[in-house]
Amino acid sequence: MTYAYLFKYIIIGDTGVGKSCLLLQFTDKRFQPVHDLTIGVEFGARMVNIDGKQIKLQIWDTAGQESFRSITRSYYRGAAGALLVYDITRRETFNHLTSWLEDARQHSSSNMVIMLIGNKSDLESRRDVKREEGEAFAREHGLIFMETSAKTACNVEEAFINTAKEIYRKIQQGLFDVHNEANGIKIGPQQCISSSVGPSTSQRNSGDVESNSGCC
Amino acid sequence: MNFLRGVMGGQSAGPQHTEAETIQKLCDRVASSTLLDDRRNAVRALKSLSKKYRLEVGIQAMEHLIHVLQTDRSDSEIIGYALDTLYNIISNDEEEEVDDVEEENSTRQSEDLGSQFTEIFIKQQENVTLLLSLLEEFDFHVRWPGVKLLTSLLKQLGPQVQQIILVSPMGVSRLMDLLADSREVIRNDGVLLLQALTRSNGAIQKIVAFENAFERLLDIITEEGNSDGGIVVEDCLILLQNLLKNNNSNQNFFKEGSYIQRMKPWFEVGDENSGWSAQKVTNLHLMLQLVRVLVSPTNPPGATSSCQKAMFQCGLLQQLCTILMATGVPADILTETINTVSEVIRGCQVNQDYFASVNAPSNPPRPAIVVLLMSMVNERQPFVLRCAVLYCFQCFLYKNQKGQGEIVSTLLPSTIDATGSSVSAGQLLCGGLFSTDSLSNWCAAVALAHALQENATQKEQLLRVQLATSIGNPPVSLLQQCTNILSQGDKIDRRGSKIQTRIGLLMLLCTWLSNCPIAVTHFLHNSANVPFLTGQIAENLGEEEQLVQGLCALLLGISIYFNDNSLENYMKEKLKQLIEKRIGKENFVEKLGFISKHELYSRASQKPQPNFPSPEYMIFDHEFTKLVKELEGVITKAIYKSSEEDKKEEEVKKTLEQHDSIVTHYKNVIREQDLQLDDLKQQISTLKCQNEQLQTAVTQQASQIQQHKDQYNLLKVQLGKDNQHQGSYSDGAQMNGIQPEEIGRLREEIEELKSNRELLQSQLAEKDFLIENLKSSQTSPGTNEATASARDSEQIAELKQEMATLKSQLISQSVEITKLQTEKQELLQKTEAFAKSVPVPGESETAKTTDVEGRLAALLQETIELKNEIKALSEERTAIKEQLDSSNSTIATLQNERNKLEGDITDSKKEQDDLLVLLADQDQKMLSLKNKLKELGHPVEEEDELESGDQDDEDDEDEDDGKDQDHI
Ligand SMILES: Nc1nc2c(ncn2[C@@H]2O[C@H](COP(=O)(O)OP(=O)(O)O)[C@@H](O)[C@H]2O)c(=O)[nH]1
Ligand SMILES: [Mg+2]
Repeated sequence: MTYAYLFKYIIIGDTGVGKSCLLLQFTDKRFQPVHDLTIGVEFGARMVNIDGKQIKLQIWDTAGQESFRSITRSYYRGAAGALLVYDITRRETFNHLTSWLEDARQHSSSNMVIMLIGNKSDLESRRDVKREEGEAFAREHGLIFMETSAKTACNVEEAFINTAKEIYRKIQQGLFDVHNEANGIKIGPQQCISSSVGPSTSQRNSGDVESNSGCC
Repeated sequence: MNFLRGVMGGQSAGPQHTEAETIQKLCDRVASSTLLDDRRNAVRALKSLSKKYRLEVGIQAMEHLIHVLQTDRSDSEIIGYALDTLYNIISNDEEEEVDDVEEENSTRQSEDLGSQFTEIFIKQQENVTLLLSLLEEFDFHVRWPGVKLLTSLLKQLGPQVQQIILVSPMGVSRLMDLLADSREVIRNDGVLLLQALTRSNGAIQKIVAFENAFERLLDIITEEGNSDGGIVVEDCLILLQNLLKNNNSNQNFFKEGSYIQRMKPWFEVGDENSGWSAQKVTNLHLMLQLVRVLVSPTNPPGATSSCQKAMFQCGLLQQLCTILMATGVPADILTETINTVSEVIRGCQVNQDYFASVNAPSNPPRPAIVVLLMSMVNERQPFVLRCAVLYCFQCFLYKNQKGQGEIVSTLLPSTIDATGSSVSAGQLLCGGLFSTDSLSNWCAAVALAHALQENATQKEQLLRVQLATSIGNPPVSLLQQCTNILSQGDKIDRRGSKIQTRIGLLMLLCTWLSNCPIAVTHFLHNSANVPFLTGQIAENLGEEEQLVQGLCALLLGISIYFNDNSLENYMKEKLKQLIEKRIGKENFVEKLGFISKHELYSRASQKPQPNFPSPEYMIFDHEFTKLVKELEGVITKAIYKSSEEDKKEEEVKKTLEQHDSIVTHYKNVIREQDLQLDDLKQQISTLKCQNEQLQTAVTQQASQIQQHKDQYNLLKVQLGKDNQHQGSYSDGAQMNGIQPEEIGRLREEIEELKSNRELLQSQLAEKDFLIENLKSSQTSPGTNEATASARDSEQIAELKQEMATLKSQLISQSVEITKLQTEKQELLQKTEAFAKSVPVPGESETAKTTDVEGRLAALLQETIELKNEIKALSEERTAIKEQLDSSNSTIATLQNERNKLEGDITDSKKEQDDLLVLLADQDQKMLSLKNKLKELGHPVEEEDELESGDQDDEDDEDEDDGKDQDHI
């Protein structure tokens, strides 16, 4: 399967917020209710379509425990996007965002796109962090924001795809050096920049955010 | 000092002493000299001594050298010497230079020394971090020894050094940059460093892969000419193996990154006899192993199968099959290629089908399978190659009913090639089964057993196979022939271990008869078989024969357990009595237990590959160990059961089965309904989601509409104001940036000033009049004239004064007025200029009106547009409302359905409860039956009582099954 671009993502955030479930929902379209601690880092991949272009997403799911922090740090430099996840039913996971963000900002390239995600939106009755608080935090720190549910799949596609859109936008603005793979971006095989602008011939159907916008 | 002397080899005591002093002096110089040149020379001297006097230099100089690394970073030369020295102290790589008589002893000691010095060096974690930062230095004299030193540290105390690198910021990532170094020496030593770094550390392996190691290494391999490349290719392949072996995450990344496709050119070696250098053989071996890492049977099933598919799609499997059929390939490469093909096709239908279609380029072309089987039953072929062929055949048949059918069919009377012009797989297997080579017997038996694995149809089909033994004699069945040979015991004539022949045949028979009552009947029909088996089991034979006894017991047990009582003389009951009489239950069970207690049993049960260090170890087949696991327990139980128990159990089983089937039925119904319910719930949640979405959209649009309304109102108000302006100032002065307010203000000021002036003028007139008056009164004389006139003149002076002020005021005011008037004039001119620039010809008055009219029209247009927009929005809103209503009604219907379903479920739950009561009754009955039995003096096993009550467990199992399937 050829692609126009390849983006590397990482998923970060406290343990138990649903990082692995988000990845599984996005790559396999299923939900795993049993909490299975991620040891180190797991990997998943999927193709998405943005502006008629095939974009391959390679996603590394990290372990949130403190003991794995130094391992996680090694992934910031090479990532083009990061999903920073908290659990809307556990305030402490929201409170820890600052420390995650500091880590990310310190170790990543300055252009890394960070998407803030309030997960478990299906558990409205147990909500502990207001959506507005998430929005405010995102605004204050210049992040994109979404609430998702890895369980019902609500907004999961959108979260990954909107991140890709933002990266794509930055590429078009020339903010990313696409030839330096250390930025977490790669141009597809037999693809050059000039040919990558304009409508794609591919008709592979993958989630396009335009057609199904937010539901949470 | 003994230790020291050992290391220092043949040195006599005198010079040794001197050297120690010299080293001490050099250390002092390094520590205390203020001159860089001096320190550099001292370090260089230490370096030259460090190989020969490793211990001395290590003990005395280590801390000084580390200090140099910390403080003299600006001088790459001294850093280089220091790193070299440390490398010499820590590394064991130079051990071959020690030409000591006690070579081995000294090697061990030097290894101790290396790890001890490593321990000292890494005790301060900062030393490792310092070394990492030195590696960022581009200078060759620093980077190269730095790489070598770090590699040595990792080789000595891998886990500890790995941990330090892992926690130092970007530690691993920085080392990855070595692969990009343009100097080959550093790049190549970088590969070695990464090998040591990634050894059995999953976290580091993942980071290295994340840093694009696959891409870089594959590039290097391609640049170096794939398998024709030198040792660099070998090193890269070893590193790739480190990264992929037992690392599911990296394997997945490798597959997703489309790197499997890049392995295909590795195997384009073709027929060309360009020679097979040792390096090429090594490289290809590693390449094949790398393929196997990706499709290992021990990987998660889903991972292996997706790699298998990719290998077919990119043509890698096809390429491997070409090597398989090529000539001139060295035997060990051929063997490993066969093993690799085996695992690429194992359990993957598409690949198995392809493999079945591969032909050898012979004349006439023969199927590859046939050609391979020829090697398997050929004594002259190497043992490992024959094992590999067996593995390949097993993998071809694994979960491949179609393939199994094809193999068995080549033995059936209807399909046998009458002309005999080409040999078939079946013929080769039969030939192997009855050849005089025991290894061939074993391999053929196991291969044939794999054609029957979990395939009842083929077990029955194989019963039809007839063999022509010798001319004139009637043909015998394959089954018969197997038992005939078996019954000869160790009197058979075989090259190799006769035990192997019998074990092979027994495994084949056990596989054949299990789960196949017809085959059991056929077996029992030969009246010689049962006496033979009981005889074998009953005899008190040596250890050699124990395994054969165990297998015989298993075969007899299978003949009982899968017996359908269709033969009067060999009904279950009779066989059990026979065991009791001839062997004894305990004895039988003990013999049966010999199988799984055998030392080679657990070894075979670990991996599917038949991998034996030498032919004697070829005893168990992996699939067969699974069969033993499955049957050992149930046969033991069956043997211990009494006949009455059996009968009763049978009855109870029947009724239970009936109940079970009812319960199962309802369970299924419930499960279906559950699924439906879940489905509906899902739908409801999606609809709710949609509903919320629509509602937000409606709210948004409503607020938009409100905004538009507000805007509209605002515009309306503005329009009104504009109209007023147009009315009062026909010059349209509000245009072109001049504020109408300003002009108004100016006018007002002017007005004010004018009235001011008028006031002043009227005051002036009054004063004039007063003066006139006074003048006239002066002329009329009086008594107090003088005083009056004096007062008057004062007054006049005063008045004059006042007048002067007024006049000056007047002047300044009129100046101001003039100024304002000119300003006004200017403004007017500007306005006029603007009015002229308005492209409407004709009189200025009409132009102005047209202008106003135009703007009015534009505003009206805008208003209309806004109105339209509002209309459109409200239409949209209505549509959304409709949608909302319809989804609400859908929700309502769904809710109804759900209620109905819930009712259904309650009903079926009720039914289920009834059934449970029924079951409980049944249990009660059973219990009483058992009690009766107990009263009658029969032992009753407790386990059986529970069989009906395990619904929950069963449900769980079902769920697990589902999950596994998902995974695949
Ligand atoms: N209700 C609900 N549970 C979730 C959701 N996402 C994850 N979970 C649960 O939260 C737990 C932790 O999820 P996991 O993905 O392992 O968290 P991680 O440690 O961040 O990778 C698991 O028990 C999941 O089943 C969600 O969106 N909704
Ligand atoms: Mg996790």
